[in-house]
Amino acid sequence: MRFATRTFLSSFIPFAVLLAVSFWAIRGSVIATVRDGLRASVRDNEVALAREQARNEGRDRKLLQGVAENPTLKAGLQLLATERSAKDQARNTVQDQLSEICDSLNFDFIMISGAHGEPLAAVVRYAGGFAPIKLDRLRAPEQGFFSADDRLYDVTSVPIHEAGAEVATLTVGGRFDISRFGVPAVLLHKGAVIEAQMRDLAPAQIEKALVACLPAADCEPRIQDQAYLSLPLGLNTGGGDDSYVLRSLQNVDAASAPLRAVLRKLFLVAGLIALAAMLGISALSSRSIAQPLADVAAYLRLSSATGELPEFPESKGGVQEIRDLTQGFNHAAKAVRESRERLTRAYVQFVGSLAQALDARDAYTAGHSRRVSDYSCAIAKAMNIPEQEMEIIRVGALLHDLGKIGISDLVLQKPGRLTPEETELIQQHPVIGKRILENVQGLEAYLGIVELHHENLDGTGYPYGLRGEETPLHARIVKVADAYDAMTSDRPYRRGRSHAEAIAVLRRVSGSETDPAVVEAFALLGDQRKPQVALTGDRSLHSLSQAVEDETGRSVPAAPETNELTVARGRENS
Amino acid sequence: MCFKLAQCVLLGSVLLVGADIHGTVIIERKLTRHNVTASAGMYQRGVAVELGTDPEVDPLVFERSHVAVYLEAGPSSPATGAVKASIEQRDRRYVPDLVVIPAGSTVAFPNFDPIFHNVFSLSKAKSFDLGNYPKGQIRMVTFPVPGLVAVYCHLHSNMAATIVVAPNQWATQADGNGIFVLKDVPSGTYTIVAWHKTAGTFRKTVTIREPNDAEVSFTLPYVGPKDATPVARR
Repeated sequence: MRFATRTFLSSFIPFAVLLAVSFWAIRGSVIATVRDGLRASVRDNEVALAREQARNEGRDRKLLQGVAENPTLKAGLQLLATERSAKDQARNTVQDQLSEICDSLNFDFIMISGAHGEPLAAVVRYAGGFAPIKLDRLRAPEQGFFSADDRLYDVTSVPIHEAGAEVATLTVGGRFDISRFGVPAVLLHKGAVIEAQMRDLAPAQIEKALVACLPAADCEPRIQDQAYLSLPLGLNTGGGDDSYVLRSLQNVDAASAPLRAVLRKLFLVAGLIALAAMLGISALSSRSIAQPLADVAAYLRLSSATGELPEFPESKGGVQEIRDLTQGFNHAAKAVRESRERLTRAYVQFVGSLAQALDARDAYTAGHSRRVSDYSCAIAKAMNIPEQEMEIIRVGALLHDLGKIGISDLVLQKPGRLTPEETELIQQHPVIGKRILENVQGLEAYLGIVELHHENLDGTGYPYGLRGEETPLHARIVKVADAYDAMTSDRPYRRGRSHAEAIAVLRRVSGSETDPAVVEAFALLGDQRKPQVALTGDRSLHSLSQAVEDETGRSVPAAPETNELTVARGRENS
Repeated sequence: MCFKLAQCVLLGSVLLVGADIHGTVIIERKLTRHNVTASAGMYQRGVAVELGTDPEVDPLVFERSHVAVYLEAGPSSPATGAVKASIEQRDRRYVPDLVVIPAGSTVAFPNFDPIFHNVFSLSKAKSFDLGNYPKGQIRMVTFPVPGLVAVYCHLHSNMAATIVVAPNQWATQADGNGIFVLKDVPSGTYTIVAWHKTAGTFRKTVTIREPNDAEVSFTLPYVGPKDATPVARR
């Protein structure tokens, strides 16, 4: 798993879970609060309703007591009781009186019963007017619901006293209107729905849902998968089987549905926004954590691919830990680089010492390696070869004849012609040199020069007879410089040729043996030779130590006046 | 009894033997709350009745036609000119609800409603109770003593009628315009009385000099300056 992914997940997932849980909890509590609020409001409403009802009943009762003392009604009762011949007219008279009472007091039902509860006359409001109703089996309760003439009335009764005795009962009532309650209500009689305000619910459903509800207790039935709240409305009357029960029945889910929809939308939007914000923040934070590390990792990968140990760029605004890390790496890399350079340099010095020792074996070839190196560098500079490669050429040229260590002085310094065996032996020196150097780490770059500086363009060179471009440019440059120095140096058996002669020879063989471009570049440079110094053992020794010192880059200790030129040359070359 | 000429709306003179008294009752505002109930015949199933609304009548006409006018008797005046009057019980009302009769007259109370009615009075002039009786029955009462008789019904508290029993034959009711005439009044000085149920009793003095007719005008209720003593007070 990538570090960025890990940091992203570890910051995002807890946040998301926290957010989801808190939203869920908030939503639940909000919905619960809404439902509780609704229930409280319903209950308040019902309490207020019950109080109002009680007050109305009290007022009605007082009013009724006044009505019961109505002398005309008493006269009518007396008439009803005493009249024998015209009973119908007597009843009409009383019904007429009842109608008037009904009208003036705005009742819908009025009835008068005798001392034993037998109905005497009853009138109901009917289509704006009043009509008497049949008296069969009419028996009104003292208070409560009363069904007469197929209608339901909410009635109250008061006694009528005459001379201290209760002679009759007056029962009045209003038409029961279930919609007058502020809440959806349902009226049940013996468990069966008589009136209900919910048109969308079948009476059977309501009955089934309310069957478990205690008459005087709150109840939360579920109908059609919706939560309902049912409270007694405090108007329940009677007892036993013949009781009417009035309950509110309110759909809590439907009532809170709009609010819940708003909440759901709100939470959805807020949740999405929060999630998106969190996503962005997590991504940013994981990026800000992982990016510097990824940079470091990329840098390390690059350096492992190239094998180099470059320095990390100093990042000022970065993370402290990352800075420490890169600084530590930089320190380590620097140390490694330095030690590697020191090692390389030590090898170069060592090998250079070998070369110098080789040169010193023969007074005539003394300084050969250094000169070849100088010429090669001059040519390379003239040919615009990059600085890094110049270094390779310089060191490679110094080492180019190292292989001659393994060849006997007898052969090397043999005056006169060499036998074919001897020539073959001589021609082994590039391979021997290569073999010496190839085991030394860090000198790989110089192997080409050492091994191939005797190849010719036309394939007649040794040791492999490579053609043209198969021989690297470095080796071709060193070949020209080597040949030139060989020609211009004195030998025991001849004097060195002049510069012009040497260039002429090089030109003559250019294309076949030497690279014409290199030769021309060299010819254009003019005579590069320095004045020859006397070859003494002492000087030779000095030259060796100087070469070593040059390679280490250390300052050369003060030299005698006679060494001035050598010192100067060494400085120029470094 | 007039203190200022302007207040005295007494016009004309009194004629000798058989002279008439012409008079006007002026009523400018409504005095009575008209109590109306539905007719008893309507108490049948299916008939819608609107109760408690007045019939479309000019209230002032009603007021003017409910003023009784008569001459107060001198101590020696004999009660003459007894009549037979009738107060019907229709639609739970006494129709008419005001009759003016000389003392000794008889009033019949026929019941035309399909329900029982009762006629009674507790007035000083005549106290009686005719009991409850159904449709078709007629019961009668004679009123020998002058005075006001308020008639009620035990069964219907809003039924009321007034019988003004005048001491003599010179008794009448104003018409809808407030006009009344008392015919053939002999010469002399009389106290003429106007009575309205709510406004009260108003008295004026009128002198008849035959054969000149006299004219009397009443303004009910009396409106005059505060310092003025009303002609009559209830």
